[in-house]
Amino acid sequence: MKSREQEYKEIFIAEALEYYDALNRLISELEKKPQDDRVLAEIFRMLHNLKANAKAIGYLQISDVSHKLETAFGLIRNKELSFSDEVVGVLFDGIDLLGELIKNIDSERQVEIDPVLIRNLDIVVDSLSDSTVELAKVQKFSTSRNLTLSDLIYIQVKKLDHLMNLVGELIIDRDRILSLSRELDNDELKVVSSHLYRITEDLQYSVMDARLVSIGTLFNKFPRVVRDISTAEKKEVNLDLSGQDIQIDRNILQIMTDSLLHLVRNAITHGIEKPVQRSKVGKPKVGSLQLSARSDRESVIITLTDDGRGIDVGKVKRAAVDRHLVPADVADGLPDSEVYSFLFEPGFSLAKEVTEFSGRGVGLDVVKNAIDSIGGRIRIESEKGKGTSFILQLPTSIAVKGALLFEIDNIFYAIPLIHTDSVVALDKDELHEVGEVLVADIKGETVTVVYLDELLNMEESQMRLGDKTRLKGQVQNIIIVTYNNRKLGLIVDKLYRQQDIVVKPLSKPLDSIDLYGGVTLLGTGKVCLVLDVPAITKYFVNKR
Amino acid sequence: MKRILIVDDSFYMRTMLKNMLTDAGYEIVGEAPNGQTALELAKETNPDLITLDVILPDNTGLDVLKGIKAEQPDMKIVIVSAVGQEVIVNEALEYGALSYIVKPFSEERVLEVVKKALEE
Repeated sequence: MKSREQEYKEIFIAEALEYYDALNRLISELEKKPQDDRVLAEIFRMLHNLKANAKAIGYLQISDVSHKLETAFGLIRNKELSFSDEVVGVLFDGIDLLGELIKNIDSERQVEIDPVLIRNLDIVVDSLSDSTVELAKVQKFSTSRNLTLSDLIYIQVKKLDHLMNLVGELIIDRDRILSLSRELDNDELKVVSSHLYRITEDLQYSVMDARLVSIGTLFNKFPRVVRDISTAEKKEVNLDLSGQDIQIDRNILQIMTDSLLHLVRNAITHGIEKPVQRSKVGKPKVGSLQLSARSDRESVIITLTDDGRGIDVGKVKRAAVDRHLVPADVADGLPDSEVYSFLFEPGFSLAKEVTEFSGRGVGLDVVKNAIDSIGGRIRIESEKGKGTSFILQLPTSIAVKGALLFEIDNIFYAIPLIHTDSVVALDKDELHEVGEVLVADIKGETVTVVYLDELLNMEESQMRLGDKTRLKGQVQNIIIVTYNNRKLGLIVDKLYRQQDIVVKPLSKPLDSIDLYGGVTLLGTGKVCLVLDVPAITKYFVNKR
Repeated sequence: MKRILIVDDSFYMRTMLKNMLTDAGYEIVGEAPNGQTALELAKETNPDLITLDVILPDNTGLDVLKGIKAEQPDMKIVIVSAVGQEVIVNEALEYGALSYIVKPFSEERVLEVVKKALEE
């Protein structure tokens, strides 16, 4: 994992080398125009920064030499020292020394500073150009000057975003060409396109890789946050971090920042009890909070676990019934996992007190929306009295998603794999009409099943989702999707393959159709709508 | 969450300040590497506080200070300077800067000065 020290060091070196190059350029300019105030100010500013940065990070030789040079240029600027040939020589030597010191920060070799050079610098600085003092010749570091550029560059995230977009476009064209080569059955074209395929794949992963940061960059902010919140709440909390070196897309981490902060606040404010209460129930006085990350194929799983009071399922059920989210009799029979889902409903909160840190009207629905927006998932595990876990499954990268392709009424659709649970084929007789919907027993679980053709293509007034007679054929292909702990079966005409797709947002005026999360172009050139599983589930829950 | 704008021409310094301040729970609304950007961002983001380096590439920090104060007289500004710039710091304090931090700074000093300035 890249520690903060390592990060600071890299930044320091990259910036110092920039200053070194600029100083060489500027001092040459100054030689031609010795009284150019602008150039002098620039040199002064850079030496000044170099000195301050080196002092901050602890490279004292660099800060010393910069300081001496800064003083010398200060004198020149104030016209207390003339920019004579001799002085110029000493200053060039000084800047060379700086360069040498900067380049050797990472090497084993200790740079030997020629004492004569230091003496010369001191003479220039102290003696105010007393020409009677002899400036001695300084031994050069190397006879041949090596030109070196920094190994590290800084790049704006938006440039990487642009690059990722271009890769997305390229992948779409690549798939098209690959498909054409098969259609045309042209061997030469097939060879070229399969080569193109490998290269674009490599390119895609390289660009994705360039955008990865370690999760530690976010996690390492939490010890301080936890300390502050627990102090304010008069609680004692011990935070354990793990998996800081797991890598994730920078933008995804950015989007998750507020959500994680919110969950951590919640855990301390509402989860972990005050020390006295904890002692009473036989728990250690100090509460425990664990924030961990791990990789799971294409996803990163972030888990936040507290050993607090846990979620009171009965309380959540009552609140859900009070808000008419579910009838009382249905609520009684719901499994815990489905009950926890209510916590993600807009405005749903069990908290009575509002404190500085928690409960500012921001509910878990905001967290949920943030996770939905990047195509991730969140679920809760909790045991009353024992504690609560929030488990976040996030994609490692935004632009390219694994998806399952299927067909309805001769039109292609895709569902992001992150939301698909399984695929089953059921006989029509195994589907039962219950009220306005169809249900089926799938692996011992009663799952609501929706005929997608009906949902997507039928006028709302004529939609009859609970009518089995609308189904085509005897065997039904069903994709089981999950969202917010709710399983939903989607009946499709034909299943195709899994494929990486690049999802493009729908543009106006289509962007208001909320059953679709976007659109992608298949290799065949066919447009393929990407279903928005969260939206469909929500729509369906509203129907019910 | 209090919102802070960092003005410093050194990326290294901005990174250190940003880390220290975000760790302490402040929100960094922007980073300006020069005077022009500082003036624009001050107006655009209207932060609760600005940390201002006194030596900048295009303007001197003092010009930036005056510029911001002319538009946003109540803006809280803390000077970040190095040893040997006492004259400029004193002038900055006269022009309405609240306090100053001397480079190289300790995290404690930064947080103390920022906290105090925000309370004023």
